[in-house]
Amino acid sequence: MVALLLLNFILMALDARESTSGKLVVRSWTQTAADFVQSPVTTISTSVSNYFSSIANLRSAQDENTTLKQRVQELEVELRQKDGLANENERLRSLLQLKDESKYKVLSARIIGRDPSAWFNASIINRGSLDGVTLNMPVVTDGGIVGRITAVSPLTSQVDLITYSKSGVGGIVGEVGATNALGVVVGTGKTNILEMKYVPGTAEVEVGQPIFTTGQDGIYPAGLKIGEIVNVVRGSATTAHKIEIKPAARLDSMQEVGVLLYQPPQKPEFEQRVTPEQTKKK
Amino acid sequence: MEGVKLTIAIIIAVVLQWTLRNVADFFMYVDFPLIIVVYAALQRNSIRALLFATVSGIAVDALSGGLLGSSGFTMTAIAFGVAEIARRVYLDNLLLRIPVIAGASILSSLIYFGIHKLFGQEPAGSLVFVGAYSLIGTMIAGTLIFLLLDAISAGKLKPRKREMFAQRRQTRRRNPIRLTK
Repeated sequence: MVALLLLNFILMALDARESTSGKLVVRSWTQTAADFVQSPVTTISTSVSNYFSSIANLRSAQDENTTLKQRVQELEVELRQKDGLANENERLRSLLQLKDESKYKVLSARIIGRDPSAWFNASIINRGSLDGVTLNMPVVTDGGIVGRITAVSPLTSQVDLITYSKSGVGGIVGEVGATNALGVVVGTGKTNILEMKYVPGTAEVEVGQPIFTTGQDGIYPAGLKIGEIVNVVRGSATTAHKIEIKPAARLDSMQEVGVLLYQPPQKPEFEQRVTPEQTKKK
Repeated sequence: MEGVKLTIAIIIAVVLQWTLRNVADFFMYVDFPLIIVVYAALQRNSIRALLFATVSGIAVDALSGGLLGSSGFTMTAIAFGVAEIARRVYLDNLLLRIPVIAGASILSSLIYFGIHKLFGQEPAGSLVFVGAYSLIGTMIAGTLIFLLLDAISAGKLKPRKREMFAQRRQTRRRNPIRLTK
C-alpha cells in the first residue's frame, strides 16, 4: 500500500512540476489509448442525440418552411443585385493584386471527450502532435477564443477552457489601439462568466462593449474576441473596475473547434537574460 | 472467477468514466471506478482493491485537468481503509454497504480537493457543491451496481439474499402459565 501511495505521490509531484511542459509520458499514452474508445462513443452519442432532436424539430418545420419560402424569394432579388457588386469587387481585387489569405493557419478539430472528473472542465480534441499541435496553442471557435492546449499526445490534445479559474488572457475593452482599458481576463470557474481585472477605474467602460485579446500574454494573438461586458462594478481613481464578461464562444455546447497553429513572437533579449537571483541559485 | 468479474467491471467503469460525461453532464458526479474499488475492498482482498485503485485512478487522471496520480492516491487510501474496516466489521449486508460507499465518496472529495490545494492547483469546482452532488450520484449508482454485481455471481445469490433479509429465528417458548387446561 505504501509503495502504491508513493508511486501516486511521485506522479503528482512530477505532474505539478511538468505542468508548463505537459510532457508526462503516462498522460500522453493513456490519452492515446482513450482516443480509441472516446471517438466512437462520441460519434454514436452525437448521431443518436441529433436523430432525436431532428424528430423534435419536425413539429415546427412546416411553419418555418412557409416563412423560409418567402425569405428565399426576397433573397433571390437581393442576390441578383449583389452578383453585380461581387463581380466588380473581384475585378478591383485582381487589379490591386490582393491575396485572400488568413493571418494564421487554423486546424479544425472535434471535441471527443470531456474531463472525466467533476472537479475540472478540460476538453479532449482529436488532434495531436502528429497534426502539428504543440503546447499552449490557442483554441478558438467562430465566436471567439475557447482556451489553450495544455497536454499533447500523438493523436489527441487536452484543452483548458478560459473559464478555468487558473487561466488568464490579456484583454482590452474595444479594439487594440482604440482604448487604454487594458486588463487581465480570468476564469471564475463558472461556465458563462469571466472576470476582467486591473482595468483602471478612470477608463470608460460600458455594458455591451466587446473585449479582445491584446497578444501580450504570449499565448493568444492580438485581436481575437473574448466576449462582451455584461456587468461593471465601477472603480475610482485608485481602484480598478470589476468587469464581468460573457464569453463569445459557446463553451457549454461546442462540438467543433479550431486550433490556431500560432507561435507567439520570441521575447526580447532583455527578458530572456538570466537574473542575478537565478545566477545565485546556480 | 471473482477476480475476472471484478477486472472486467473495473475496465468498464473506467471506460464509462471516460465517456459518459459526453453523453450527459450529470454523469460526471458518479465515480464509477470508486464504486468498483470499494466493492473489491469489501470482498476482503485488499491487494486486488489497492491495485485496482491505483490503475483506475491513473487512467482517469490522464484525461483530467487535475494532477496525474491524485485520483490514484485518493482511491488507494480509501481502498485500504475500506478493506481494513471490512476485515474487522461484518459488512456483507447491502444496507450496511450504502453508508460505506457514501463515506468513501465524501472522503474521496476531501482528499482529492486537499491534494490539489497542497500542490497549489485550484480545482474548478467548489468542495461543497461537487462533494454533495458526487455523494448523491455515487451513492445511488453504487447501490445499483452493488446489487448488479451481487446478482451476476449466481452461485452467491441465494446466500447473499439470505444475508440481506435474514429470517428471524422462531424459538419455541414454553409458557409456564397455562391459561387453559
